[in-house]
Amino acid sequence: MTLTVDRGGRALGKRAPAGRPRGNRRPRNPYALFLLPGVLAFAVVIVGPFLMNTGVSFTEWSGVGSPKWTGLANYRELLDDAEFWASFRHSLLMVIAMAAVPTVVGLVLAAALFDFVGKHFGPRIAAVLRACFYLPQVLPIAVAGIVWSWILAPENGSLNELLKAVGLGSWQQDWLGDPDIALYSVMGVMVWVQIGFPLVVFMAGLQRVDPQLYEAAELDGAGWWRRFWHITLPQIRPEIYVVLTWCTIAALKVFGAVYVLTKGGPGGATDVPSYFSFTTFFEKTQVGYGAAISTVLTVIILLLSLVGLKLQTRAEDAEEGGVV
Amino acid sequence: MLTARRRLVATAAALLSGALLLTACGGDSDGGSGDGKTLKLWHYETADSAMGIAWNEAIKEFKAKHPGVKVEFEEKGFEQIQKTAPMVLNSNDAPDVMEYNKGNATAGLLSKQGLLTDLTSEVTKHGWDKKLSAGVATTARYDASGVMGSGNWYGVPNYAEYAMVYFNKDLFKKYGVTEPKSFDDLTAALDAFVEKGVTPLANGGAEYPAQQYLYQLALSKADRSWVDDYQLYKGKVDFHDAAWTYAATTFADWVKKGYISDKSSSTKAEDAGLSFIQGKSPIFFSGSWWYGRFASENKFDWDTALWPDSKLTLGSSGNLWVVPKGAKNKELAYDFIDITMSKKIQNLLGNSGGIPVAADSDAITEPRAKALIDDFTTVSGRDGLAFYPDWPVAGFYDVLVSETQKLITGSEKPDAFLGNLQSAYDKGAPKK
Repeated sequence: MTLTVDRGGRALGKRAPAGRPRGNRRPRNPYALFLLPGVLAFAVVIVGPFLMNTGVSFTEWSGVGSPKWTGLANYRELLDDAEFWASFRHSLLMVIAMAAVPTVVGLVLAAALFDFVGKHFGPRIAAVLRACFYLPQVLPIAVAGIVWSWILAPENGSLNELLKAVGLGSWQQDWLGDPDIALYSVMGVMVWVQIGFPLVVFMAGLQRVDPQLYEAAELDGAGWWRRFWHITLPQIRPEIYVVLTWCTIAALKVFGAVYVLTKGGPGGATDVPSYFSFTTFFEKTQVGYGAAISTVLTVIILLLSLVGLKLQTRAEDAEEGGVV
Repeated sequence: MLTARRRLVATAAALLSGALLLTACGGDSDGGSGDGKTLKLWHYETADSAMGIAWNEAIKEFKAKHPGVKVEFEEKGFEQIQKTAPMVLNSNDAPDVMEYNKGNATAGLLSKQGLLTDLTSEVTKHGWDKKLSAGVATTARYDASGVMGSGNWYGVPNYAEYAMVYFNKDLFKKYGVTEPKSFDDLTAALDAFVEKGVTPLANGGAEYPAQQYLYQLALSKADRSWVDDYQLYKGKVDFHDAAWTYAATTFADWVKKGYISDKSSSTKAEDAGLSFIQGKSPIFFSGSWWYGRFASENKFDWDTALWPDSKLTLGSSGNLWVVPKGAKNKELAYDFIDITMSKKIQNLLGNSGGIPVAADSDAITEPRAKALIDDFTTVSGRDGLAFYPDWPVAGFYDVLVSETQKLITGSEKPDAFLGNLQSAYDKGAPKK
């Protein structure tokens, strides 16, 4: 008898005849019922509010009273809104700080901890270091933000004091108050916040790499860098996709850090779409326009997530090759 | 029969209409249907502030006068009420009486939207209008467009506030600088401090202090009609006029001269206040809301004065007691407001470091409090309360912060700064 195997390795056996099963009317998938709570929760918590938000985005509304239908006016205004596009450019830079840099640094650190520290100093030391790198992820962003605003304060801030103490007084800056520097300062803080997440995911991924691959490569004389490039990277590609997708989404909707550190200033230099949307909603009470901003942001995030998932699936398919 | 595409469009349209209907729904009830046994009260004054002390005493008094009535008091945060008030007042959870921020973009907006009770008949019945000076009463009345100064009464202010110059007298003595009596004296003192390596003015560029310097500079070259045009939309507002131009160029100049730190663009109001409390800055220009804190925390000799050579200064009534349209026990709310306007509560407010609007001048015995109130009486008596620069347009506060930060960092010239204020103001101000 020929068995066909699907991607999950499930033996399908003989195909059931097409069409509705005769006799009793059992559903095709008896487990579908278990999806119901999740689907309902998704509809109530995600789909409903999103549709409401989208509906509001076609109106002029101050948050109370009757909304006035304006069609696509908010979206047309958004297209010409220099402040929104500036905030979006900042958001793209945040993707570098919160996704690209942490992924690269996290990869190198994870490989170093796993391959070097773990082997030479023991897994306990590697675990302690991993926990240390992960610590900023545990801290509430409000707390981390306040601490960093002390560190980066122009007068008596720890960073400026440290620079002065080591004879680099000329490097002192108004880190969060200079429009040419502020965004990079916030980006730096976000690298610090983010780095623990990819590190932990990558270290978990490295656990499942067959050690024989490294041993064989070592026997063939491959150095650390070649092993990293030719074994580590390809083996944990799925984790890299997950981290990149997750962190890119986090970067696009970053809010807390900007709110605590700079409130979008100085002069809008660190404004990002989510903060821009927040001020439009609550400060300017232009709820319709704020809804349009958040709808656009949601659509962009959704598209990027789909692209990320597609890339991930394609890579997994390529890896699995022709397992049939 | 519907095609799949049409069905999809129809479903989406139905959902969107449903969404709009849902969002449009809200408490349209006129309220007043409560049991008369509970007063639901919200305010955001901390218990140790002058207002907190006075309102707590008012609650006690209210309980004594209304045995059997329970007061459900909830202390809210300013930001919390500011950001959520429209939504809460539009629901069934509205309190009976609530403290709310005054101005066109706040109480004015709510009154225009029909969320607040028209208090006009209660005001005349209780004679609250007789107790308030014209400048203080301005923020309590709003017309149909939500513009303050005329129309019905939608709130009752029980205290007032104004901005003043705070001096660290010890630092003046230490650096041998003469205390200023005129504007020329003030700039001479600022120069003298800069020469000694001290940045004289405490500033918070990321919040309101910077815009208060700016607005005060403009006010020193302005008159009442200028304020009315700007705040009450009575005439054309030109940000390139003499007053605004003087304010922007002088402010930028002060940063260049070192009167204001060019590194203060990211500092907050709290940082500015702390810098004065810690004796780092000899001068701070800000509101009377700092007064009580300075009185309890300053470890040096200090004094206050009105901004020299200016008839106008920033200031207004304090926040308002408002009665939401959907309040269930409005009669109890009116009784509570009446108690806060009584001489007993007003005198307590004054002696606790606040600025009462209806106190007995003889009953204020604390000397510093007396001086504070006397200065307010001077400003109020000459019709000098010019409100705050962010009031005319919703969201203008953020614009002012952002633009003034650019002046501090030097990334924008005064002319461009004024142009940006003009476009934000024109966009947000009511269209004639």
